Amino acid sequence: MSQGNLGIEPEVLKAIYGQMARIRAVDKAVQAGLSSGKFMFTYWPMTGQECIPATISQLTTERDYMITTYRGIHDQVAKGVDLYGMFAEALGREDGVNKGKGGSPHISDPSSGSMVTTAIVGAGAPIANGLAISAKERGEDRVTIVNFGDGATSIGAVHEAMNLAGAWKLPVIFMCQNNTWGEYTRIPTYTASPNFFGRAEALGFKGVQLDGNDPAAFYKGMKEVIDYVREGKGPVFVEAMTYRLGPHAGVGDNYNATKDELAAGKERAPYEKTRALLLEAGISSEEEITALEAAAKAEVEDAIARALESTVTPQSETLIDVFADADSVPKRGHYPVREAEGELSGPTETMTMVQAVLSAQTLAMEANKEVFILGEDVGDPQGGVFGTNKGLQDKYGDRRVRPTPIAETAIIGAALGASIAGMNPIAEIMFVDFMGVCLDQIANHAAKQRYMSGSATHAPMTIRVQLGGGMGGFGAQHSQSLEAWLTHTPGIKVVYASNPIDAKGLLLSAINDPDPVVVLESMMLLYTQKAEVPTGDYRIPLGVAKVKREGTDVTLISYGWELLNCLAAAEELAKEGISVEVIDLRSLVPIDYHRILESVKKTGRAVVVHAAVEFCGLGAEICSTINEELWGQLKAPAVRLGAEYAPIAYSKDIETNQVPNAGSIIARVRASVKG
Amino acid sequence: MSTTLTIPKLEMSMSEGTLAEWKVEDGAAVKEGDVIYVLETNKTARDIEAPTAGTLVHKAPAGETYDVGTEIGEIV
Repeated sequence: MSQGNLGIEPEVLKAIYGQMARIRAVDKAVQAGLSSGKFMFTYWPMTGQECIPATISQLTTERDYMITTYRGIHDQVAKGVDLYGMFAEALGREDGVNKGKGGSPHISDPSSGSMVTTAIVGAGAPIANGLAISAKERGEDRVTIVNFGDGATSIGAVHEAMNLAGAWKLPVIFMCQNNTWGEYTRIPTYTASPNFFGRAEALGFKGVQLDGNDPAAFYKGMKEVIDYVREGKGPVFVEAMTYRLGPHAGVGDNYNATKDELAAGKERAPYEKTRALLLEAGISSEEEITALEAAAKAEVEDAIARALESTVTPQSETLIDVFADADSVPKRGHYPVREAEGELSGPTETMTMVQAVLSAQTLAMEANKEVFILGEDVGDPQGGVFGTNKGLQDKYGDRRVRPTPIAETAIIGAALGASIAGMNPIAEIMFVDFMGVCLDQIANHAAKQRYMSGSATHAPMTIRVQLGGGMGGFGAQHSQSLEAWLTHTPGIKVVYASNPIDAKGLLLSAINDPDPVVVLESMMLLYTQKAEVPTGDYRIPLGVAKVKREGTDVTLISYGWELLNCLAAAEELAKEGISVEVIDLRSLVPIDYHRILESVKKTGRAVVVHAAVEFCGLGAEICSTINEELWGQLKAPAVRLGAEYAPIAYSKDIETNQVPNAGSIIARVRASVKG
Repeated sequence: MSTTLTIPKLEMSMSEGTLAEWKVEDGAAVKEGDVIYVLETNKTARDIEAPTAGTLVHKAPAGETYDVGTEIGEIV
């Protein structure tokens, strides 16, 4: 049969309808299950939007990457996610594609190319850029399609991602399924924009508006778009016009719509229209269509019946998939002994911490071409605001050292996406104070991807973050110590070196770790510390603390730049006859409770010191563990000393005194020893 | 095989619902997709469709509010 007047090959139209029928069967079965009370999960219906993924499925393969949202069940079905695994996931069962740990809003199924599903509106777009970077750098012809609703166009993540994709000409398609509703709020209540595709042009790349309810027109338009992106001509923003017939969540009709709107929406709905077209054009007989629909229904019924038989994912799985190794998970009463690094050998050079970081990155980039750096101003000649990347762009080119727009969400998302595809990016965030801008990407996505996906995917990425503090004069927004934000978020490892040797060895471990690691770098230490650092590759293992000074009366526990104050305090206290043991944690997660407890067993007293605010800081956690584990053996309760509960002041007098200094540490230790 | 009908959880915030009206009489035949009862929640009134075909058995009177998960009927 020829194309005729349809504008699409009959076989293609049939195949599109076949996918639409599968989507409709899934939608109906979920709504029936929810209505009867058989299912008890939240559902965000996509009824009316079936044509978009059904059509795309005829133009892509499982090699192409997809990201979608919690509403994207239609996207998952058309992408080829196994229906049994999908239903078992929605029901929280062991046999779910993600072991029942993510649920339907977090499907991650690399075998079909459905890489990430996010329940945070708009957050998929920055991650899609990273998947696209991996395809481009590996010379693969994959396209990445990130689906989101029109409501997501209001959020910053989408804007940041679009801007970056345009700047880097990434092979990514921003698929805006414009169903005219942002949850319960409609256009134009939430935007004055006359359209969304025009925003792409404003950012310097191609945007098109297509009828997402007309399979022939949408197929033709999407073929051009996908060919264009596959050929490496850059990103495209597609505004696919459709209508959401259901409510934001639940079952049935969209009760926020007026009767007339809903009737008009149903009139234009693609499923019934396409079915009628197949009959009218004589492509399929009623019998053929009925058989196809029955097959789709049977496939869904079989998947649901089997999914209901699968075991509910048991509690014993709780700490599995947080990290690659369960022993890195902090757990009361479980304090694994990790082997320390051996004696470091080989030639050395005198290095500042800046040079030590540069040395680690050079070795990592030399050893593995999938290591690349991205961040603000990381390119040469300046090599980063702190110079930690100096010469790397000249040496490895602007594809492996990528200066970015000032857009932290785009930076972390791009690193995350590339890492999910298996690369080992190093993202640099210039100040920890800017982490608030990109915390969603770090805490909701990078930290959780392994867990939500049941380890189907994971994020071997490194985030290098510089901190002010200890220098003075940077004010409240460039001087904070925010490590507790990170240590309180399961799934992210955190290290914080106090010297160049550890800085290099920890960074090399971080880059080669299978999980996301935040490497905190004190700006003060970067400039002031020098040491004889081995020039070759060596690793400081994560989760291994180090005794920096031995003592018998009290253990001072610290990390980062406050360690210098602790060593100075110990020196002074020795003159008074107080023998202080100083422990450098080096890793905050995983934490080395074994070495902490061994030391405090010996001294009987502990003071934990950090530059971060004392209230709800890491010190409280460590003291609590020491006091609980060693209650009968302590000569005094473990106590903490952190910054006072105030933003960091600009006044030198306030700043110097609101954060622990040698004097205040000495006073706290004295009080502990003398009771 | 019969299908149990319980008060569904249609919204994240939903903990109870009112069975406002049975649209099909006790003991009558239903087709899949027929509206069988009206459920009122704090947000809206919804038509609930038969998830399967069969004979509808009422197990709870209309006009009452029930917790999510309460069995209100069966299709046999």
